[in-house]
Amino acid sequence: MKFDFQLILDSIPLLLQGAAVTIEITAMAVGIGLVLGLITSICRLSHMKALNILAVCYVNVIRGTPMLVQIFLIYFALPMVIGERINPFVAAVAACSINSGAYVSEIFRAGIQSVDRGQMEAGRSLGLSWGQTMRYVILPQAFKHVIPPLGNEFISMTKETSLVSVIGFEELTRRGQLIIAKTYGSFEIWMTVAAIYLIMTLGIARLVSYLEKRFATDDRN
Amino acid sequence: MIEIKGLKKSFGTHEVLKGIDLTIKDKEVVVIIGPSGSGKSTILRCINYLEQPTAGEIIVDGISMNDAKSINDIRKEVGMVFQRFNLFPHMTVLQNIMLSPMKTRHVSKKEAQETAINLLRKVGLEDKKDAYPETLSGGQQQRVAIARALAMKPKFMLFDEPTSALDPEMVREVLDVIKDLARDGMAMAIVTHEMGFAREVADRVLFVDGGYILEEGKPDDLFFHPKEERTKEFLSKIL
Repeated sequence: MKFDFQLILDSIPLLLQGAAVTIEITAMAVGIGLVLGLITSICRLSHMKALNILAVCYVNVIRGTPMLVQIFLIYFALPMVIGERINPFVAAVAACSINSGAYVSEIFRAGIQSVDRGQMEAGRSLGLSWGQTMRYVILPQAFKHVIPPLGNEFISMTKETSLVSVIGFEELTRRGQLIIAKTYGSFEIWMTVAAIYLIMTLGIARLVSYLEKRFATDDRN
Repeated sequence: MIEIKGLKKSFGTHEVLKGIDLTIKDKEVVVIIGPSGSGKSTILRCINYLEQPTAGEIIVDGISMNDAKSINDIRKEVGMVFQRFNLFPHMTVLQNIMLSPMKTRHVSKKEAQETAINLLRKVGLEDKKDAYPETLSGGQQQRVAIARALAMKPKFMLFDEPTSALDPEMVREVLDVIKDLARDGMAMAIVTHEMGFAREVADRVLFVDGGYILEEGKPDDLFFHPKEERTKEFLSKIL
């Protein structure tokens, strides 16, 4: 087998464009996922039965079905219901955020539950409402505990966005496929694609451990 | 005035309180003693609804707790101090004290800070205002917790074994603060194992066992001339 180094050099600009799209989609999915996850975890922990059930269903359905199928459902099946085509970018971001939200909500729930029960009692005994105690007392403490698992989720999501290549959305993996279709350089291109993913995820891992350290010192004071 | 009528509380199938009737008058200091598991802490926790009573009624200053809307309002009138302090670890001492007055009573930051500093002076910890709870000793943390509860200007204070988690040499400083409060006329209910302190501070002592108030009386009567066998037995073990 001949290793075509020139092919890699030629492809890198295109692949980097794809990587930028991957980052964009990941950032949006994680951002929306965080909000969705926070809301869901609070619904899950609230004393309102209906919200509770809704949150449990959401988490179980998303966790219990493959993300690939979720992408198909949103991109191919949903348009049949609403009678309108969905832009691949919107479909990709929607699928990834909805997926991420379910996992993030479990991370938040664990983080919130890791805060001592006495903290909620102290807040309530001072006359703060449940929501105020959550906001000012519980969540700031939970935040520190959720940074490492959120980092994991962020890294997973970066890799899983590769699945949206199946709906023709041109992120990093799809770019690789397209280049290979023209050049047949499977080995070179997939190696390069893998390397780019690795660099991105290592970067996120660095960022997460930095945040972790920062908040750990904040707490010691 | 706090009136408790026919209070019952079960956890699952286990009935902890089997019918408590108790009135705490304004300015009155009531000390609750009894063996562990007798339900003494549960009485306090029911008064501000940290535990939902299974049956019965609790009336604080004429407002019934059974009226769901008033729970947060009543909690503002009833301060609680916990065995394990439960200070907010991510906030400074001052922030701990200022949080609830600012959020629930809408007191201005400046006013909340003045009140907080006055209270810290009262519990002897003015110099610790910018410290974080974990840098304080247990006794100091508990005094901050008392100041935090007082910042809400409550009419009643509940103390749930306030010195049980403390090293022996720190018990006194906390008890002294509570004694000062009693002297100032604060009505309070105290669950404690410190019998000397109970004698000194209480207007009335209740002996709770098996989910009932078995006996009550003035401290000297109850400690030195108990009528019930169970009370005698309990006191003989601890005095």
